[in-house]
Amino acid sequence: MNARVVIAEDSALFRAGLARLIEDHGHRVCAAVGDGGALLAAVAEHQPDIVVADIRMPPTHTDEGLRAALEIRRQHPRTGVLVLSQYIETKYTARLLEGNAAGAGYLLKERVADVAEFADALERVAAGGTALDPEVVGQLLRASRRADGLAALTARERHVLALMAEGRSNAGIADALVKDPEHLRQARAAPGRGRQPPRPRGPALPGLVAPLAPNCIDGTSMQLQILA
Amino acid sequence: MAYLLAKLPVGLIELYAVSLWIGGLVNLSYPLWWGAFRNHPPGARLSPVPVFTPFGWFGEGTFRVATLPGTFAAAAAGAAMLLAAPWVTRAVTSADAWLIRGLLGPGRLAQRVHNLELSRALAVDDSAALLRRLERNLHDGAQIRLATLAMNLGMAREKLGDGGEVPDAAAVRELVDAALRGAKEALGELRSLARGIHPPVLDNGLADALASLAADSATPVELEVSIPVRPTPAIETIAYFCAAELLANAAKHSFANKIAIRAAGQRDVLLLSVADDGAGGADPARGTGLSGLAQRAAVVDGRLTIASPPGGPTKITVELPLRA
Repeated sequence: MNARVVIAEDSALFRAGLARLIEDHGHRVCAAVGDGGALLAAVAEHQPDIVVADIRMPPTHTDEGLRAALEIRRQHPRTGVLVLSQYIETKYTARLLEGNAAGAGYLLKERVADVAEFADALERVAAGGTALDPEVVGQLLRASRRADGLAALTARERHVLALMAEGRSNAGIADALVKDPEHLRQARAAPGRGRQPPRPRGPALPGLVAPLAPNCIDGTSMQLQILA
Repeated sequence: MAYLLAKLPVGLIELYAVSLWIGGLVNLSYPLWWGAFRNHPPGARLSPVPVFTPFGWFGEGTFRVATLPGTFAAAAAGAAMLLAAPWVTRAVTSADAWLIRGLLGPGRLAQRVHNLELSRALAVDDSAALLRRLERNLHDGAQIRLATLAMNLGMAREKLGDGGEVPDAAAVRELVDAALRGAKEALGELRSLARGIHPPVLDNGLADALASLAADSATPVELEVSIPVRPTPAIETIAYFCAAELLANAAKHSFANKIAIRAAGQRDVLLLSVADDGAGGADPARGTGLSGLAQRAAVVDGRLTIASPPGGPTKITVELPLRA
């Protein structure tokens, strides 16, 4: 995949690093700007496949990046939007994914350290998929802990659900499960566990995120329905 | 208590004002009821009717009328009393109001409560602003530097591959160098931030902290400290940050060649002054620095005095209590 990217980030240092990372993975950075207004102008000019935007930028240093991202999602539905932030706010997640999670992502800035995973998330969002930070998913799961459907899941099922909610493909989920030493330890300690009859599943993450389980089986990228 | 004593004569005068209204009305009505009730046959002896005057109602010297024309004189007196009544009433009630304000209104204690409320609001605002500034500094400083550093290391790690030959060793070296630079810068920023929150040298007392400030200054500083009784930590902190800010101001704005810092403890007051031989014209109305310092001092009942004529020299004195 060769995506055309616009970057919006007010720290020049981080912006330059991000541009380099993205170009190293074979994408083209059409523009790298430092505030929300310039981002909207650059998107109108370049019609990129994806925008990578910091949430907090000048002049108000609050949420202009997010507001610009929402504007882009309205005006250019085919442009994917990946917002980065140093904090995860559930409120921002809800605003970003309201109505439709396709072509949207919300990651902590520090995730760029896992270069391959970040590049994967970027490509997924550019292709119309979803990328949610594990932290975002954790907040959503915590917020709906009281829901019956979630309580019925085993720890491992919940882990898979969290990976699904992050927007990973089946291959990505399998990869993460195999890499996760905790899972390996559990699998070794209780080899028979996987053969237990499946528990009945209620609606998962009611009110927030409802993963469509069948998509997970047929090997296509998982989808999320965000219920506003 | 003072009001009750003062109220006694004032109350009597008020009663007098009320009597003017009533007496005036009664006198004015004399000619009307004279015809109705005094139509006795001629020759009958009638006692004269007393007329209320401002000078007395009963007894000797009271003005009395016994004839119809006399009642007109009484009515004229009544009209005059009614005309005078509003003036007297107004005068006496405003005197009473003045007494109430003066003796029962917000006294020194109430003023003190008001001042404390103001300074408490300032303290709360100040600490909220401080926290916001701190978060902002972390967010835009160390945090983003560390994120960039992690990104550089991540890219370097990816270029190193999973073993064997490294195709682009130069790029890896460059990325690791950038990461190393970032780590040093982040450390420096965190250090200055931590020092800005609470300078560790302040634990040794104000004298050492001021000496360290003076040593860091680009403009030569002459320091004189004599504090026999150590102030409370809160006062030391306020004094230190005032000195730091005033020193920075002097270095930045005044083009001074020499700065003098004096800190002296006198009984229960700490006097801190920063003087320079620079351009002068320091004005708390311009910029928030000096007014912010004055606010900070006011929180502990301290005071900031500015002497800075255009052309200099400038001397700014902060007066703080030894304990807050």
